[in-house]
Amino acid sequence: MFNRTPKEMNKYWRVGEPMVWLSGAALSLTLLSAAILLLVIMVSGLGVFWPSPLQQLELKDGSLLVGMQTQVEETADHSGMRRQYKIANRDLNGLDFRWIDEAQIVSSSTPADLLVLERAEYGDFFGRLQTLEGKPASLDQLRQALHQVETARAGLSELDQRLIEISYRGEQLRLKLLKIDYHQVAANEPQRIELSAEKQAEADEFERLVKVQSERLNRIHARTAVFSDANGQQKEIVLADILKVYTPNTMSSADKARFYVAKLWELVSGEPRESNTEGGLFPAIFGTVMLIFVMSLFSFPLGVIAAVYLREYAKEGLLVRIVRIAVNNLAGIPSIVYGIFGLGFFVYGIGHSIDVVFFPERLPTPTFGTGGLLWASLTLALLTVPVVIVSTEEALGAIPREMREGSYALGATKFQTLLRVLLPMASPGIMTGLILAMARAAGEVAPLMITGVVKLAPTLPIDGNFPFLHLDRKFMHLGFHIYDIGFQSPNVEAAKPMVFVTALLLVLIVLLMSSVAIRLRNKMKKRYTFGTF
Amino acid sequence: MKPVYLKKVKRNDRLASWAISIGGLAIIFCVIFILVLIVEVSLPLFMSPTARQIARVESGFVSSNVQVLAVGMDDYLETAYTIDAGGTIRFINLADGRELEQIRLRPAEADKRLLAVENFGRLNHVLHWDDGSLSVEQVKFSPFYDAADNNRRSIRHTLESRGEFPAVPQQVEQSLARVNDEGRQTRVDLFADGRLEVQQREVTENFLGEEEVTESSEILELNGAGQLSALVLNDSGTQLYAGTATGELLHWSLEESGEANLVDHLQAFADQRRITALSMVFGDVSLAVGDERGQVSTWFGVRGDSSGKRTLTRIHQLTGHAAPVDKLSHSLRDKTVLSRSGDGLHLDYMTSERFLLGFNPPGGISRYALTARGDGLVALGENGDLLSWRLFIPHPEISLKTLFGKVWYEGYDQPEYVWQSSAASDDYEPKLSLTPLIFGSLKGTFYAMLFAVPLAIFGAIYTSQFARPKLRGMIKPAIEIMAAVPTVIIGFLAALWLAPLIESSLGSVFLSLVLLPAALMLCILLWQAARKLEPLKQVERGYEFLAVIPIIIGAVALASTLGPGLEQWLFAGDLKQWLFSELGTRYDPRNCIIIAFAMGFAVIPIIFTIAEDSLSNVPNSLKAASLALGASRWQTVWRVILPSASPGIFAGTMIGFGRAVGETMIVLMATGNTAIMDLSIFNGMRPLSANIAVEIPEAPVDGSLYRVLFLSAVILFILTFIVNTVAEIVRQRLRAKYGRF
Amino acid sequence: MTPIKIENPVIEVEDLRFYYGDSRAIHGVDIAFPEKQVTALIGPSGCGKSTLLRCFNRMNDLIDISRVEGKVLLDGQDIYDKNTDIIELRRQVGMVFQKSNPFPKSIYENVIYGLRIAGEKDKSFFDERVETSLKGAALWDEVKDRLHDSALGLSGGQMQRLCIARAIAVNPKVILMDEPCSALDPKSTARVEELIGELRENFTIIIVTHNMQQAARVSDNTAFLFEGNLIEYGLTEQLFVKPQNKQTEDYITGRFG
Repeated sequence: MFNRTPKEMNKYWRVGEPMVWLSGAALSLTLLSAAILLLVIMVSGLGVFWPSPLQQLELKDGSLLVGMQTQVEETADHSGMRRQYKIANRDLNGLDFRWIDEAQIVSSSTPADLLVLERAEYGDFFGRLQTLEGKPASLDQLRQALHQVETARAGLSELDQRLIEISYRGEQLRLKLLKIDYHQVAANEPQRIELSAEKQAEADEFERLVKVQSERLNRIHARTAVFSDANGQQKEIVLADILKVYTPNTMSSADKARFYVAKLWELVSGEPRESNTEGGLFPAIFGTVMLIFVMSLFSFPLGVIAAVYLREYAKEGLLVRIVRIAVNNLAGIPSIVYGIFGLGFFVYGIGHSIDVVFFPERLPTPTFGTGGLLWASLTLALLTVPVVIVSTEEALGAIPREMREGSYALGATKFQTLLRVLLPMASPGIMTGLILAMARAAGEVAPLMITGVVKLAPTLPIDGNFPFLHLDRKFMHLGFHIYDIGFQSPNVEAAKPMVFVTALLLVLIVLLMSSVAIRLRNKMKKRYTFGTF
Repeated sequence: MKPVYLKKVKRNDRLASWAISIGGLAIIFCVIFILVLIVEVSLPLFMSPTARQIARVESGFVSSNVQVLAVGMDDYLETAYTIDAGGTIRFINLADGRELEQIRLRPAEADKRLLAVENFGRLNHVLHWDDGSLSVEQVKFSPFYDAADNNRRSIRHTLESRGEFPAVPQQVEQSLARVNDEGRQTRVDLFADGRLEVQQREVTENFLGEEEVTESSEILELNGAGQLSALVLNDSGTQLYAGTATGELLHWSLEESGEANLVDHLQAFADQRRITALSMVFGDVSLAVGDERGQVSTWFGVRGDSSGKRTLTRIHQLTGHAAPVDKLSHSLRDKTVLSRSGDGLHLDYMTSERFLLGFNPPGGISRYALTARGDGLVALGENGDLLSWRLFIPHPEISLKTLFGKVWYEGYDQPEYVWQSSAASDDYEPKLSLTPLIFGSLKGTFYAMLFAVPLAIFGAIYTSQFARPKLRGMIKPAIEIMAAVPTVIIGFLAALWLAPLIESSLGSVFLSLVLLPAALMLCILLWQAARKLEPLKQVERGYEFLAVIPIIIGAVALASTLGPGLEQWLFAGDLKQWLFSELGTRYDPRNCIIIAFAMGFAVIPIIFTIAEDSLSNVPNSLKAASLALGASRWQTVWRVILPSASPGIFAGTMIGFGRAVGETMIVLMATGNTAIMDLSIFNGMRPLSANIAVEIPEAPVDGSLYRVLFLSAVILFILTFIVNTVAEIVRQRLRAKYGRF
Repeated sequence: MTPIKIENPVIEVEDLRFYYGDSRAIHGVDIAFPEKQVTALIGPSGCGKSTLLRCFNRMNDLIDISRVEGKVLLDGQDIYDKNTDIIELRRQVGMVFQKSNPFPKSIYENVIYGLRIAGEKDKSFFDERVETSLKGAALWDEVKDRLHDSALGLSGGQMQRLCIARAIAVNPKVILMDEPCSALDPKSTARVEELIGELRENFTIIIVTHNMQQAARVSDNTAFLFEGNLIEYGLTEQLFVKPQNKQTEDYITGRFG
């Protein structure tokens, strides 16, 4: 046995069995890294909204600390462990997180009376309720009061809406006046007088409403409650600033689940707060969807027509070969190059020309001559047209020649054959291309950064004002949102949960679209193998 | 078939055919048009400057026996003026040659004549009167709308006296004077007997708010230098430079009033050529030196050794003249140097050493001035004609050398590749070297490919050749899904999760680099014995990669437990500190290790998919033939499959390379974005793509930076285009060979 | 070679030459096809029989580099004339291909495809035509309950008969068949051959086959082509029993091909 082993070993190496294992290991590493990426995003993203217990720690120096534990790691000198707590109360502490060495902790508990307040400003507040409008009160009374405030605020929202409308009309009037100025209409023309009067009326109405609004707001803001933090420091908080109040230490699992769902709903439907690190993602989701939609409107027909031309109408030859190589190539051009093209051509080229021709009175304030939804969509359309072309071409190319001949033999024209046989047969392939293009558009950020995405857009690209769809407006985007709050926000640590949640959402959207596309394509492949017997 | 319908159908067909052909071609060419457009934006960088003569006022506007000593022009290129020896300044409308006004500069003493006029700053003139007194006058222009004249726009001109220097008794060869905004007046006189005297007058406010005047006067030490042949004082009057007839340069600092200090004295030219003209360059850092051989060079102080003393060093050599240089001056906008000799006037840009424009009108040029904006030139010919030109010098600082070569920038101790697009003041030298950015792109790509290529190719080999078909059907979509993960997410995870993780456990990371292969090897050896057991043999039917997973996880886990201890033992607990003190490399938390992982992750699926496709498209007959001859499965792959599929694998690698070169978001987030040229894996970099994303929002449209960024996009485009085209051609060949895609 | 006498020629070919790029594939063929009979074109692979067949409905137009000289008269009119309408032509000269090629639509839609593209919209007319065509193609009984199922669910032989039904639905004068049974199993082949026998009642059929037994079984006349030339053309029983030409004899006795 001992004699034979080296020989066998030699053979084992010679036939290269270890290499098979090594290549297997390469594959495993690849798959593992993908799995880890998804896992990290899932774990960090999904857990964000689950209320964790609020601990009260007694430290060696005698002080108390209330916080939610977020991390544990070894101390720098390897003497023990240390924990990171989210202690919130930014307005009192100046920071949201604090590291505590375990050696410092005397005891820890989870008192039932600890509250978490979600506030419109300064992040969360951890502490206890002291008095409500000067009187000691229970949590239920606080909730009741909050509910009243909420109702009062809802009553104000109608007023807000009217204010927005009036300011929009005022802006339109200002632009009209600007136009009149530009055309040098004399001051005594009836048109100008009329406009000026109208504008004045709008301004008066605006002022009146603002007054009403601020009066009512003052009344609402007069209602406050006093809370105390772990060490008894008192803080008076305006009820209107409190968005949510909950007691994580007494919540049952069902309560927590309900809370979780509510937070998820807020995430997809709410507006962002606190420089995007809190609140919802609705404008970003909406912007992303609009972007993909407008992009598809351009890239889908253009890509399909170009592919149909290449595959069905162009004469095969050197030119078509070159064009095909070029198109395949364009799919590999870095997205930032498309971005800079979009900036140079669409924004500064076409956009500026539009401004010069149609809105000369507003210059130098650009209307279309600055980044916006339209230009970003067009840039992305350019970026994704090659994807649509390539997949449409492949789908058309995979249709057996007999299908075309069968149709022609029955007296169909080329166009009829295209419409009735080829395009329906190629549709899964075209859909695959479109979905892949959309997925790419959803995840692409670099070209958007220079063609019109912003961290906070004041208005959505669609609203109730004519012409309803405002393609010149700047917009928000999930991918840019991640970049922005993860890298440009003043408080990166506090922004982290939101980054992970946004990333999770984006990953889910993109992966869902891609897997649909991949499934469609694989199905199509199976179907065509049939045609070749 | 109904004839009407037939007609309709045929018409539709024709229309569709036209529409699709035109549309298709148009779309394709529009898309290809991108390159043309980007190139079009960046091309003006290399356009040669041009000058267009806009006015010519025939001689005779000033009587021929009075010598004109200086000329000037407003920023709108509408009004010119001349100062003549009689002490008169005349304003002339360039459009029609009409004299607008003439002012006696010293009406009270009408018999005084001017000897010389020296210019500095924005239309400041130092008037040197024949009694030895100096006065400093500034001409100011401002446009206004003349209500009296039907609201016509015209230019108002005013004169402002900025300072007076009293007469000196001796015969003066040359006098210089400066008045700065803080009320400091400096006068330098070179007397006929070779003495050089400095007089300074400083008005300061003491703590009581009273004005205090300090005056000083001293004779400068010449340190045995030869005859002084050229002098120049910087705009604030704090630095004095002199050149001698024997090729020496002297530099005094006049910062401390009354304590002039000769900081530098050197033999600038070994051949002892006469220095004929000196001028500062805009920004007052560099000194332009003209000599009798017609050479123009620029100099500034460079720290030569560790003592920190700066020595004047020749930095740039500009295009020379055929005749001795007799006058040098500089632009007030950028680093343009104007030099005049018998063969005309030259405009050269210092940093790029580009020859911009040359003027040699038939009458010669006796006096000239560049406007403050640098876009107009006015000159008085020897024949008395007044000429003016509009200059178009779009991007003087750009040349192939400044974009790609090493350039010696002001304040640097040697020529370097630097990217620094903006600075606090407007007299800085733009440093737009693309080399560090290209280096950054290639560096990041190199490390990413180092990580991605082996994993992707070996993974593809395994998937296509050894894995069970059923598993293969799951692996491929999984990898495709991996390709769809947006790079912004990879980048953010790399920066916010991976970078801190690796930073805190650097020792474990390196340990696992050793432990992982070791563990694999060990397991392969052990497997040799274990494979003889029947149930385990099943693993060799395409499940190996699953069996390996626990080994990998185990090895990494082991490394992370042992890592800190090892670090403690070998590197005194802090590997980063050790790296810095022992190897001199600084550990940047966002470095190439992160980039290798993150960008590698983005590139792996691309290489994998293409390589896998080409591997599995190798006809089965080849594989069967090899196996039938008794080759093992790995031998078959190594000797038969891989050679046939190698073009596809190559193509995949190329496409992956192209993708990594242009990747933006990952590098933007996961590198420090510092434009340094350093191969160290522990440093970050700044690649072309991220640079565009960072800089373009701030770049003024059509400025040099804007166009240089477009140029870097062109470079990226060309780089990826070449790589992709090669890959695509290889792939098309492969398809033609095996008849499938 | 003795040309047979044709009473009622539907298609007459005069000196037809066909070029692929620069190379000539058919070198001046003269032939005429009688009405409501089955004519078989036989010959070894690459002899140009399929190419010749595809000249009759100008299917070769789809190849960019092809060129045709000479005349093909359909009812006395040259189909290669400038004024000939190619669509009208193809509606009169139907074709069944070597590989069955039903569209990925329902059986019903497949049959009425030719009618739809001609602008027909009448539902009852469609119903009636589907029934007659499918009956004509001997497929009605097999598919009448699943007319709206996908045609791709049919068996190979059924698909080929569906293609025949699709061709006869537009009521052509001539049906060209390009090796219609080459991809079918023997049983399906027998069904299709039987069908060809029935179709000759109403249509002129030109069939290309490499299978001499099939030619002998289904055709009235047979033409033998070799290297782009028409070698012999005559009544099937004569040609097979007593070939006039040495090459023909060699071929039908299996010495080459």
